[in-house]
Amino acid sequence: MIQEEYRGTRQWSRNRQAIAIVVWISFLSAAIATMVFFALFDPVELSGIFDADVDISRDAGYAAGFFFFWVLTAICSAVTAWLVRTAPKRDAKRRG
Amino acid sequence: MSVKADKDRVHGAPMFASAEKIYPREMKGRFDRLSKLATITLLGLFYLVPWLIWDDRQAFLFDLPARKFYLLGLTLWPQDFPYLAMLLVIAALTLFFFTALLGRVWCGFACPQTVWTEAFIWMEQWTEGTRKQRMKLDKAPWSWNKLRRKGSKQLLWLSFSLWTGFTFVGYFTPVRELGPQLLTLTAGNWATFWTVFYAFATYGNAGYMREQVCKYMCPYARFQSAMFDNDTLIISYDEIRGEPRGGRSRSADPQALGLGACIDCTLCVQVCPTGIDIREGLQYECIACAACIDACDSVMDKMKYPRGLVRYSTESSIKGDTSHVLRPRIYVYAALLLLLFTGLVTSMATRTPIILDVIRDRNSLYRELPGDMVENIYTLKVINQRNDERSFRLSIDGVPGIELDGVPDVVVVEGGGVLSLPLRARAHRDNAYGIMNITFSISDVDDASVAVTENSRFLGPTP
Repeated sequence: MIQEEYRGTRQWSRNRQAIAIVVWISFLSAAIATMVFFALFDPVELSGIFDADVDISRDAGYAAGFFFFWVLTAICSAVTAWLVRTAPKRDAKRRG
Repeated sequence: MSVKADKDRVHGAPMFASAEKIYPREMKGRFDRLSKLATITLLGLFYLVPWLIWDDRQAFLFDLPARKFYLLGLTLWPQDFPYLAMLLVIAALTLFFFTALLGRVWCGFACPQTVWTEAFIWMEQWTEGTRKQRMKLDKAPWSWNKLRRKGSKQLLWLSFSLWTGFTFVGYFTPVRELGPQLLTLTAGNWATFWTVFYAFATYGNAGYMREQVCKYMCPYARFQSAMFDNDTLIISYDEIRGEPRGGRSRSADPQALGLGACIDCTLCVQVCPTGIDIREGLQYECIACAACIDACDSVMDKMKYPRGLVRYSTESSIKGDTSHVLRPRIYVYAALLLLLFTGLVTSMATRTPIILDVIRDRNSLYRELPGDMVENIYTLKVINQRNDERSFRLSIDGVPGIELDGVPDVVVVEGGGVLSLPLRARAHRDNAYGIMNITFSISDVDDASVAVTENSRFLGPTP
């Protein structure tokens, strides 16, 4: 076994790992979703649909779209991760 | 290929309850020079490319506010999105191809995470010194010296991060205007926000998270083993030659002592940025940066042993078999790549530099005019993807005697411009009844090869 003073084994807690994974993977998914969505739809034309009096600039439209997707994908990832981690372990129970 | 799952360290209770940081030791050598070269080249490209000029405008500009991408002389529109998608697929396949061939060279030399971490480690070394000095400084109580060293590191890191954020946004907004705007605080809110956002991400990822990103957050690190086989180039420790390991004096004969070539100096562990021991076999944390090869080579030189106890090799050749570079997996990846690349180039080369969109007025079906004429209303959108002004001839077909009203025969569209053209189409009611299919055609006046047709409907009264 290698002497530990040479190797700083930096260890993230399970929760920290889960949060980092959820934030990062949902970010990537949201980026892809934003790219595809706004390649098809122009935020300026979309804002016209809602008959809103506010003039939405494209920058703001892109940002709003991105954060909308990010929140959505993050919720999805977080719930999935939580369910996977808290699933009852049937086999372990049976063995006692 | 068995990628050793080091379960004790990754899951559950840590075998070593330390939350220390990793202090990678600096190491000179062939691969260190290669990685420095890669870092400087790639970072240099990233920071310089937005400043390049082509035809009086930014050579590479993904102009999101204008919804146009400029790549040298080429202008891409949202309608060209399939090209971008195809380009991303090609990029992914290229990564697979090189992974199968050369292992994780991407991770060790080209991944932004590695490249920026490397740059941040340089700044750390300039301000806080070598590995030993850094460890000592962290343990020492706060002093003027510590404050000065830590402070200057933070200053360097923060300014570098902000410059990185600014450069990143400079790919999406004209960079030459963005710089002065940011300095005078007149830049748009979102441009400022994304600059800070990206700066923060760089600072956190390259300054603090570093190898944890590769270990816990990177999907590629987890699935790269699927592209590995026994002939993939990996960094490995020659166990047959190295074991049994043990310390000895430089003059001693290892064979007489019953020892292998490994002197157990642990340098290979000290230099590892992800903190693994390569002698335990291939592990998924290994990002193939080759720092351990440099470390081991330097020791072998000192001991006057041949180099290569830790080296780039393949599973086959470590076991004593022959390695095959050309194998089915490589052929399949190469063939797919060639196919996609040819497809992309051909479709881009033959793309018609004009787009015609026809939108039928949704508010009215048709209008009956005096003289037994029927009228439908349309809006045409003509997009000229070329960079110079062009003239186009417009025509309509599909109903006998149909003609356009309210538009000239020839329309002029500026380079890279969109022309919105509301118009009326008229036909005699004897010819126009029910739903008729019609076509709008547009062709370049000076270049007959540039022509597109778009289908639409013409509505008339039921006969």
